[in-house]
Amino acid sequence: MSEDIVKIKGIKQGLLLIFASDSKFDEIEENIQKKLSLGFFTRGTPVYIHPEDLPKDDAETLKKIFAKYGLICKIENPENEIREIKQEEPQREEVSFAKPEVKVEGEKVEEMMVVNKTLRGGQEIRTKASVLVCGNVNPGAQIIAGGSIDIRGKCLGVVHAGAFGNQDAVIIADRLLPTQIRIANLVARAPDEGDETEKPERASIKDGQIVIEPIER
Amino acid sequence: MRAEIIVITSGKGGVGKTTTTANIGVGLAMNDKKVALIDTDTGLRNLDLLLGLENRIMYDLVDVTEGRVPYKKALVKHKKFEKLFLLPTSQVKDKSSVNPEALMKLCDEMREEFDYILIDCPAGIEQGFQTAIAGADTAIVVTMPEISAVRDADKIIGELGRADKENIKLIVNRIRPQMVEQGDMLDMDDINDILSITCIGQVPDDEKVVTSTNRGEPVVGNEDSLAGRAYMNVVRRILGEDVPFMDLRKDSFFRRIKRAFGMN
Ligand SMILES: Nc1ncnc2c1ncn2[C@@H]1O[C@H](COP(=O)(O)OP(=O)(O)OP(=O)(O)O)[C@@H](O)[C@H]1O
Ligand SMILES: [Mg+2]
Repeated sequence: MSEDIVKIKGIKQGLLLIFASDSKFDEIEENIQKKLSLGFFTRGTPVYIHPEDLPKDDAETLKKIFAKYGLICKIENPENEIREIKQEEPQREEVSFAKPEVKVEGEKVEEMMVVNKTLRGGQEIRTKASVLVCGNVNPGAQIIAGGSIDIRGKCLGVVHAGAFGNQDAVIIADRLLPTQIRIANLVARAPDEGDETEKPERASIKDGQIVIEPIER
Repeated sequence: MRAEIIVITSGKGGVGKTTTTANIGVGLAMNDKKVALIDTDTGLRNLDLLLGLENRIMYDLVDVTEGRVPYKKALVKHKKFEKLFLLPTSQVKDKSSVNPEALMKLCDEMREEFDYILIDCPAGIEQGFQTAIAGADTAIVVTMPEISAVRDADKIIGELGRADKENIKLIVNRIRPQMVEQGDMLDMDDINDILSITCIGQVPDDEKVVTSTNRGEPVVGNEDSLAGRAYMNVVRRILGEDVPFMDLRKDSFFRRIKRAFGMN
């Protein structure tokens, strides 16, 4: 399936692209163009490609494509980068963020599952990873994710983020109107009389409660 | 000739699949297309009844897929439309013997002889559904403007997607404009919001559908009936014409005049 040609992993430094081993460059290029045109990547997020993964020319082509959308594409091993930053610019914010006790070496790479379609009633996604949906989550559809859930569309189904206990997981949707929101072990139900907003919203746990607040994106 | 094979589905039962199949079939035949209707459902109101053909049935779908007779022998020709044929369902035989492969094989065989093959599908997503959709190029999902029917339609669209059916069209049947206006029925925006597939029909609730069914003459093309006109518009859209949707509000003309005079 075309979705699997380019996998996106969320890593500390940004996003890491992983290509299916038997994919042709045309397919990769097309897949990335599509993701870009769907507004998949947030501007300013660094996108990494392992230099071993693609021939240099192909990588450069991708770099140009990303540049057109205002994205920086780095053809290097992101692990190296963090070490470099550490040595050369210890003052930089990102680094102070990555406190020394955080093991950079064996850093757990959090995977992101990307769903390029509307989830319809009766369909369910269950994953340990985070989930990005480019489409709606319809009534009767369900997402159960170990990480966070980001819906580029309307959320009308049941969503459970941090399903394996992660209290820091969040749920974001362009229109957040789910039947039920769960984060970790907490549940929030949609109010029976909805005060609907047209704005994107984020649900997260604050002071032991699920709170929903508008966001810009 | 190479027929387009269209399956007519719905999640919820009783929303008008069989009615829609009969009307589209007759409408296409009125437009000089050679059409076969395959009934894969066994209900109380089957296609043969709607087309007034029940007394002419000799063989049925199971006879054909089990190789007892060639399909041509089982086809029932319509009384009025030379180019319209029905392959009736079996009322008694075990329909589970019709599996997806058998129906696909039959469709492939029939394909060269017809312009359109319409398959009337049973409600739900059981085996019968999987069989009916197997050979289809296009799926039409029929729904009604109420929440449970739309949700079931949504599920069916998901299932069709899983079966790699990409070409899916929507028909909303039994619309009651007054109820929509009062907010007691979903309007087209609500429905499109959830289903987000191309709509090719908005058919009003119309008692002429029922009376014509009883006579075995589908309402399509009957200019005195809003549903008859709506069904003919569906047919024209299937034939590739770009037909605007009608305004179903009965008093819309007067309403517009009233509005023009600032009375409303
Ligand atoms: N537009 C309409 N206006 C009024 N009545 C209608 C309309 N469409 C269908 N009906 C009526 O609704 C009933 C159900 O229609 P039909 O049998 O076509 O549904 P179906 O989806 O094939 O049902 P089943 O799931 O049982 O096969 C019938 O009595 C039919 O006459
Ligand atoms: Mg029926």
